Amino acid sequence: MLIAWKYRERNTVIQRLDPRARLIFMLSVLVSVIQFWDLRIILGFLTVALGQYFLAKLTWRETRRPWLLMGCIIVFLTFLTFLTGRGGVGTAYHEEHLLARLGPLSLPIVGWSFTLDVTAEKTVFAISQMVRMFAITAMAITIPYTIDPSLYGVTFRGLGLPDKFAYAMDLAFRYVPTLGRDFSITLDAQRARGYEVEKLSGGIISQIRKLAPLLVPVTINAIVGAEDVIDAMDLRCFGIGPRTWVRELKYGRADRALIVVSVLIFAASTATSVIGYGRLWVPGFVLAWAGG
Amino acid sequence: MDTQSIPPLIVEHLSFRYRTREEMALRDVSFTLEAGQVFLVAGASGCGKTTLIRCINGLIPRSYKGDLEGRILLYGEDVADKPLSAISQIVGTVLQDPERQILGSRVSNEVAFGLENLGLPRDEILARVDDTLAYLGIAHLRDRETFYLSGGEKQKVAVAGILAMQPSILLLDEPLASLDPVSAQEALRLIRRLADEGRAVLIIEHRVEDVLKIKPEMAMFMVDGEVRYLGPTAGLEAVVDYHEVKLPAPMIIEKARRDPPPTYVPPLLARKEEPTAGLVEFENVSFAYDDGPTVLHDVSFTIRRGDIIAVLGPNGAGKTTLVKHAIGLLKPREGQVRLEGKDTRELSVAQMAHVIGYVFQSPSHMLFAPTVRDELAFGPKNLGYDQATIEEGVAQAVDILNLSGLESYSPLALSFGQQKRVSIAAILAMRSRVLVMDEPNAGQDYKNYMAFMDAILQLPYFDAILFITHDVDLAVCYANRVILMHEGRLAADGPPTEVLADAALLERCRVVPTSLLTVNLEMLPRTGRFMRAELLAHVTDSASCPAPGEGRGDR
Repeated sequence: MLIAWKYRERNTVIQRLDPRARLIFMLSVLVSVIQFWDLRIILGFLTVALGQYFLAKLTWRETRRPWLLMGCIIVFLTFLTFLTGRGGVGTAYHEEHLLARLGPLSLPIVGWSFTLDVTAEKTVFAISQMVRMFAITAMAITIPYTIDPSLYGVTFRGLGLPDKFAYAMDLAFRYVPTLGRDFSITLDAQRARGYEVEKLSGGIISQIRKLAPLLVPVTINAIVGAEDVIDAMDLRCFGIGPRTWVRELKYGRADRALIVVSVLIFAASTATSVIGYGRLWVPGFVLAWAGG
Repeated sequence: MDTQSIPPLIVEHLSFRYRTREEMALRDVSFTLEAGQVFLVAGASGCGKTTLIRCINGLIPRSYKGDLEGRILLYGEDVADKPLSAISQIVGTVLQDPERQILGSRVSNEVAFGLENLGLPRDEILARVDDTLAYLGIAHLRDRETFYLSGGEKQKVAVAGILAMQPSILLLDEPLASLDPVSAQEALRLIRRLADEGRAVLIIEHRVEDVLKIKPEMAMFMVDGEVRYLGPTAGLEAVVDYHEVKLPAPMIIEKARRDPPPTYVPPLLARKEEPTAGLVEFENVSFAYDDGPTVLHDVSFTIRRGDIIAVLGPNGAGKTTLVKHAIGLLKPREGQVRLEGKDTRELSVAQMAHVIGYVFQSPSHMLFAPTVRDELAFGPKNLGYDQATIEEGVAQAVDILNLSGLESYSPLALSFGQQKRVSIAAILAMRSRVLVMDEPNAGQDYKNYMAFMDAILQLPYFDAILFITHDVDLAVCYANRVILMHEGRLAADGPPTEVLADAALLERCRVVPTSLLTVNLEMLPRTGRFMRAELLAHVTDSASCPAPGEGRGDR
């Protein structure tokens, strides 16, 4: 059975908005923020995203898990970019000012040895990248906690997707927490058989292989679960023709205003980006520190 | 065409073989289902019951490919000529597990789903949803999230989603499998009512005894895809082997009287005379998931050597949460759980697995290995046993769970019943001293689960066994101690002859006395203990019966 995110009625400004308008706004912010590397502009988007989060009256306690998960992923990706220096060179910046040279360093597990050049541009790029990802996360995390799961399908239909795609999006949205639940049950079942995931050893391939007791049941369950869903849908005539969506959505004045704001944000961002503003900004004091 | 005079469903010489299997799943099955009838299909796991339903509702051959012969006529029209959407408006299918069927995140969405797909006007859909919910007496659930419903409520919502489409034929695939006894009774009353109102109902069910209470007009008994009996339900008793299909206790007693008395082998696992320290001790344990309501309230009890404990109680009573504390998968919010005197907060689950083996409810969440043999060896290897011990444990578990010949099969390719047995065998092979099983007989046919329960109770290395079950008869036949749970509290803890004799207590805990329990209570002055129906058949006024747990020295 597909489970839903931990949604609950909150009677907030955010929840009173039409979910279609909210998705349009989220999409606008997302597409806009990825056009910039200027930390000052990105911080502006982060402020907007956090503003939405707080207006939705979400608490740290209820959103702690996704924040921790996404936080770990973001920090890991940023660290990886910082280590390798890839992503920014040649796109966000073309010259670098050395702050420090560290090394030789050795990576655990793989044992690679290397020297790390810490440059002003690389450092600011990593920070900008991290703030950008946190802004996107803050926008996205609010959605599942504040949109009624029973409105997912009709929301996507209302955004112009065909019936089948709209319902597929509904199912896909609910598949994420379902996978999380299945993973948790499997982890418990294998731990009860003496399996200790925290004690995995060996090289990367060996470690991945040793994850089979977790990955195989979760994957198989996902496939079998998908087949069950298809059977259940077939047995109730899904896809035989145009369907009625029993839940109705209606735009209000605030929704229309939000859509206009979304369009303006996107248009302004695109224009700003096209004329060359919003590229990587390295604060003067960092350059001075590097002797630039 | 006058559909009134034509039977809703006629199956003629139906045979089917799945494309991926060599053996036939169905062989020359023929029967007719009339309007207003409840038609019971009984048989052991793998006898072809579910395949029959898939043929009727059109999933075979549309979703499941294979060789299909014979005809299925719905009101005289061949289903082969109809699209699935047309069949679905005549034939409603309620799947075995309502969790597999429910798609909507809210009850109203779920019930409306099929009607939305038919493209009906919104007003009509809303009216039909409300009518259906009211008809089933669950109007109060309309705006609830489906995930948070109890097992019984989910079953009713799944039925509502089908009934809203107004099918005239209902196919029910083991509708009682996941229900507690009271919910099962309610479901059965509903099934009878649906038939009495003119629908044709075909019900597949392992729990034959329960279905017989609603007096099905017709019954069919299947073995290996073939029909062994087809006729009035009254005739079923004569052809069915009471070792294979669970019949009401008086019927079994009647039949068993004609057979030689079975040999009674008391459980090897026995309570020792001298008092022993607790293996697992719960002391004032309370627990809640995250910021949810409290699931366990101040629970205290001790598992001692020799205990064979049945944990009974309705869906949502906290049974699984309770046993997850025993193996340290959950830690109490308040109070303490001790394993051999040590606080489980200080032990890892892996450390505890040496002492406690825990069989999860769903096998699909743990099976991963390429072969059954590898699957069974996984736990013992993690526990660091030597190769000889692992092989011995695996061989014994294969034997006990009737898995011989399947050792080199992929566990993922087995049927649900076989997978369940593999999951139990995987824990048996670990040779933990305390065995904990969550719904060990779920999805199992009677013969199989009685056989492995018999075998497990004869194993020499268990100090205690605890099993969660909705099946009161499993407690009657095997337990020497019953724990009744209700709303997160221990409502009772004591010998089965005391706990299960308290009718008011059972009613409060949504436990419904079975015919076996009733007969046992009647005969208790003579027997002195509970026993299975085959043994009761040979009890005479002067009979003396060994008490459960006796006999460790008899062997």
